[in-house]
Amino acid sequence: MVLLALGAMAFAYFQPIQVLPRIRLAPGYAMVDQFDDMVTSEDGRGVITLYTFVPLGCGEACDRVDDTMRSVRDRVGRDVDLGGTEFRLVTVVLDPDVAPAALVGAAGDDDWSWLTGTAEQIENVVGLGFRRSADPAYFTPSYAIVDGWGMIRGEYRYQTLADDADKLVRHIDVLGGELRNSSGIASFAYGAAHVFQCYP
Amino acid sequence: MSAPTIDPLDPIDGDVEATSPPRGRHRLRTFSLIVGTPMLVVALAFGAFSLFRPHIYSGTVMQAPTAAPSMDGLEWTDGTPVDLDALQGDVVVLYFGYTGCPDVCPTTLAQVGKALDRLGDDARRVHVVMVSVDPARDTPELLGEYMSSYGPEFAGATGPIDAVERVASTYGIFFARGDDYGNGDYAVDHTATLMGIDTSGHLRIVWPATLDVDRLASDLRALL
Repeated sequence: MVLLALGAMAFAYFQPIQVLPRIRLAPGYAMVDQFDDMVTSEDGRGVITLYTFVPLGCGEACDRVDDTMRSVRDRVGRDVDLGGTEFRLVTVVLDPDVAPAALVGAAGDDDWSWLTGTAEQIENVVGLGFRRSADPAYFTPSYAIVDGWGMIRGEYRYQTLADDADKLVRHIDVLGGELRNSSGIASFAYGAAHVFQCYP
Repeated sequence: MSAPTIDPLDPIDGDVEATSPPRGRHRLRTFSLIVGTPMLVVALAFGAFSLFRPHIYSGTVMQAPTAAPSMDGLEWTDGTPVDLDALQGDVVVLYFGYTGCPDVCPTTLAQVGKALDRLGDDARRVHVVMVSVDPARDTPELLGEYMSSYGPEFAGATGPIDAVERVASTYGIFFARGDDYGNGDYAVDHTATLMGIDTSGHLRIVWPATLDVDRLASDLRALL
């Protein structure tokens, strides 16, 4: 028992394996993207998704968010091994009832979903689900990483001096490590890392 | 002069014989210490681990113990408001489906029923709640009848569509009208996961609808 306790303390202190916490369930939704296609939370099953939430035309602040999203996508594709798991970007537009065609220009890239919906849908997803202001007037850059089981694994609400893309890529890499290695006997070690809160 | 005799009880020779084990026996003892001690420690550690190890859940467990989102706006089939706080002390298995669901809902609910059978008397401390994602067609009477057909632990909840949408979203559930079967009949596409709310009212665990009955029963027993 003493050895077990010592081993547990050593594991918690040295954190030989790090994981992202399973914070809570990401919200369920059915919204429309820039191509007027329905996109649902079920489309994220088995996929790692990076979410952000922006009003349209908020200028430089939104441009920085877009640059960060693009940078994360490029670096994850190049530098991170997700063990074959797909990675996608989703931007939820905070302005309600935007015509999908109006999002095409903002989105720029076809493989990046820009979602629009009614005020109630946006409040359900952004306000109740991701727990941040759905009011475009109170926009601050924020991101969320959601895993393939629909769990929020990382929330980033405030911009800091540290580069957002660096942090996001590092955390997605941690998630990729868990996806690659958490099967068989290694799953016990990853389970322990969750129990001992070995978070980056 | 006679030849010297050796006394078998000679104190000097006897001591040497008694206190100095053969070299082979000494090596054996050293070997036992070096190999046996770690083996004993490992065996004890395994024994202690199997005795005291925490339950390893088959569902996905959430670390942060957050209260299960409220179900404001929903009602039980008898018309009383759904208040999850009133169920604290028991385990709630939560599911979103509808009575006209052709395959996944009846299969999942039947699996949950079998898992409850495995629990014996403890099943009385588990409430299985299905929130209807088709409130337009699932009247309280129909929903109540449908759920009670699975057992006394099964209950239905419904409400206005906007309330159902809000509650479903906070539980990570998507639903939308699906294929049209004609004659006004249609499918409702929906997320089919099961969720477990623990005895403290925390949303603790999410199970895939396809989870094995024994594993679900084992998780439920651990939650109790």
